[in-house]
Amino acid sequence: MSDFNPAAWRAFASVIGSEWVMSSDDDRHAYSDHYAADESTHAPAGAVAPASVEEVQAIVRIANQFKVPLWPISRGKNFGYGGSAPVMKGSVVLDLTRMKKIEVDQANGTVLVEPGVGFFDLYDYLQNNKIPLWISVPGNSWGSVAGNALDRGVGYTSYGDHAAQICGLEVVLPDGDLVRTGMGAMANSPVWNLHRYGFGPSWDGMFCQSNFGIVTKLGMWLMPEPEAVAGYDFEFDQPDDLGWVIDTIMPLRRSGLIRQSPSIGNWLRSAAVMTTREEWTSDNGPLSESVVTAIRKRFNIGWWSVQIRFYGEEEIVQASMRVLERAFDNKPILSKVPTMWRRGDAPEGTPMTGVPVSFPLANANWHGGRGGHVGYSPVLPPSGDLAMAQFRRTYALYEKYGMDYHASFAMGERSLTNVNQILYNKDDAEMMGRVDAMFRELVADAKAQGYGEYRTHIDYMDLVAETFDFNGNALRRLNERVKDALDPNGILAPGKSGIWPKGARA
Amino acid sequence: MKGKVALAVAGLMACMVAVYSAQAQSNGSTIENPFRGVMQDRSAHSEDEALYVEKCSMCHRRMGMGTVLLARRMPVAEAELEDHQTLSKAYVIIAARQGIGNMPRISRAEVSDQELERIANYLASGGGR
Repeated sequence: MSDFNPAAWRAFASVIGSEWVMSSDDDRHAYSDHYAADESTHAPAGAVAPASVEEVQAIVRIANQFKVPLWPISRGKNFGYGGSAPVMKGSVVLDLTRMKKIEVDQANGTVLVEPGVGFFDLYDYLQNNKIPLWISVPGNSWGSVAGNALDRGVGYTSYGDHAAQICGLEVVLPDGDLVRTGMGAMANSPVWNLHRYGFGPSWDGMFCQSNFGIVTKLGMWLMPEPEAVAGYDFEFDQPDDLGWVIDTIMPLRRSGLIRQSPSIGNWLRSAAVMTTREEWTSDNGPLSESVVTAIRKRFNIGWWSVQIRFYGEEEIVQASMRVLERAFDNKPILSKVPTMWRRGDAPEGTPMTGVPVSFPLANANWHGGRGGHVGYSPVLPPSGDLAMAQFRRTYALYEKYGMDYHASFAMGERSLTNVNQILYNKDDAEMMGRVDAMFRELVADAKAQGYGEYRTHIDYMDLVAETFDFNGNALRRLNERVKDALDPNGILAPGKSGIWPKGARA
Repeated sequence: MKGKVALAVAGLMACMVAVYSAQAQSNGSTIENPFRGVMQDRSAHSEDEALYVEKCSMCHRRMGMGTVLLARRMPVAEAELEDHQTLSKAYVIIAARQGIGNMPRISRAEVSDQELERIANYLASGGGR
């Protein structure tokens, strides 16, 4: 736990006003991880909430002076990964939620957002100003557009790889200096958010999942409202269908025909959002075949489901549909339902068409009472056989630990991300013990295959960082050298992504 | 249970019109798919209601997490806070600051004391309806 001079609080207040320096018990609780069984493990010392980049810079300078560890959050809704809580207990949360500026370049289809801008905020802004640009939203759209992209979050449309849409950052460095990346490194550049690279090294990626700077503005590309959106919702009957489905879709992904990342997921996705477990069974063990059958019947879904969408001019969308149909010709699908939306139709109202949502968070209530989930998401090659093997091994571990299998495989251009949500009841200590043991075994299981996580919870950042072990964890050594150079006092997000400052390393 | 079903079906019906338009194929079955027709009304008719929309409605209007969860515990007609008949100002403030059930605590940076007061008044006075 950090222990710093309480005079730092007064110094913060002198810069941003005492109203925005928050250190009461209620404030500390507000920034704890509400999915955690024991919130004290990552309890912050309090929070400060600046409203401008100048205030962020001033706070960073004070933090250096008093050696106060800061944990920057955009809006703090990174549920399943720690929410707004810091890795290191006693850090001061630097809450950027009050920074809400939005600048849209309608002609070029880009937006420059401050960290406090949520997906609903950006959606409202575009709607209210009748700007025909669509956003890509994640399943929890309560969070920050910038924060989600910086944590490499994903959405449903062809702009769903959010980190890949980043174009230009403004960053406060750990010493308080201010930089703009890419073309933004030129004063008054008109192409900061239009051209991905500048001159020399490009640094945007350095500020994703890192603790090397505080992003105060983020440029992002948005999808021009398409003429049409069409696709199919496919259902598949058997667990073993996973392999051939992936092998059917991936060639279309590689060829560029499918430009979103289709996510094939199991029956629990719908059930966990719309119902609680006790409606189906009172057994504590893994869900039986009869329960799985009942769930599938109620939601009229397969063992696996996947939604594929095409975006663009109608002729191209229609032709793409025909290619997709051909790919699935004579294959044993359970059902397929076409969807078609044309510009001018009433809004379809789905995340697939950029509508922000929060209802997926209802799965925290799957076990009744106060719950949550932790994400386990290894990345593997885009092969049906490997996906089947991954599914079988992971399923066996869910059974071993008596947890309910909740998984999907998101098909990227050249990889699969196997997103698992381990749903739990945080007030069930025995279950929480199983969840922790299971998570550690899952990470080890993936590592044995050479697979690493794309993102993880604050509890497991060291564990996951450890698995990136080429040449004796050379990546960690590089990260630490950068950390020491930029942040010699170690004030910025100690422990984030397993990167610790000097003096705090294991 | 009943409330839940009604909520999902309501969400579904709104979207069916839009989704299954020209190419709709009907085999007589209905997919209770929560990923359709989930767009909520983001409009407001007063400054306080606009504040509610900005800070709360993502979870506490149609198909928000809060609405989905509250529909498990109360009549679906009251699951949206603006339709709830018996909310007191003090209760709203405590729920927001302390969290309740699966609702996380709301920090003072996200919703200031002054803003929370206005939102609580808005809800306690019937959500403008």
